[in-house]
Amino acid sequence: MGKKICWAVIFITIAVNVVMVQWTVEATLGREYSIVPIYSGISIVMVFIAFFTYLQWKKLEYSESHDE
Amino acid sequence: MMSEAIALYRKPLKGVEKMSNECKKERHAKRSKSDMVNLIQNVDQKDDLKYNRRAFLKTAVGASMALGLSTVPFSVRAMMGLSEPDHERVEIAKLADLPEGDSVTFYYPTENDPALLIHTVNGDLVAYNSACTHLMCPVFYEKEEDVLLCPCHKGYFDVNNGHPVAGPPQRELPLIEIEVENGTVYAVGRQFRHG
Ligand code: FES
Repeated sequence: MGKKICWAVIFITIAVNVVMVQWTVEATLGREYSIVPIYSGISIVMVFIAFFTYLQWKKLEYSESHDE
Repeated sequence: MMSEAIALYRKPLKGVEKMSNECKKERHAKRSKSDMVNLIQNVDQKDDLKYNRRAFLKTAVGASMALGLSTVPFSVRAMMGLSEPDHERVEIAKLADLPEGDSVTFYYPTENDPALLIHTVNGDLVAYNSACTHLMCPVFYEKEEDVLLCPCHKGYFDVNNGHPVAGPPQRELPLIEIEVENGTVYAVGRQFRHG
């Protein structure tokens, strides 16, 4: 995975998380308690994706070979 | 030949001479007056180290993770509150006291949940929690237009089903289930997402 793709993935996770926060709040206020954990689960998955993508990017960014 | 070159080299140029005279006065000045030196004066090295591409991406990762984790308390609360308690049956009003086009405020299911029982101009009986789903202002029944109005930001709700029709509200008003028995209206339950 290249550095550019890492950037893209991280920004996609931000976008998805923003939407999930909005939907979670709406579902909570609407007392739709069965779907709140689903949105929240998607958010958590995104958190892990963001974190591991960041680790990957860090490895590339701070490695000795500058191939870009 | 060689000495000629050195002589030429030593011979001060006009401009340089002038500059060295100027410099004499400001030898200890903090900032240079030379344009070439000042070219980089607006470059703040500290900021360059702090606000760069790498820092930006790290902040983005942090923001994404913070956003994602902020949904966790909601789902914890949702899992704890999965079972909505059964509501009791509460008397609201006598039908005789509520002519068509009139509404009465009551509290259901708790003292902190204001609600509105409406006898619409068409003769229907409906009840909703009256806290606007936008920012909790109380909504009123407008009998001239047969609509529920939230005056705070001009939010309109359909009186027949409680769904928002105009303005900022996005969700419907919680519906109070009612029963009429012997001319008395009772509240028996509540639905959040309906219709
Ligand atoms: S609070 Fe009702 S429209 Fe804003």
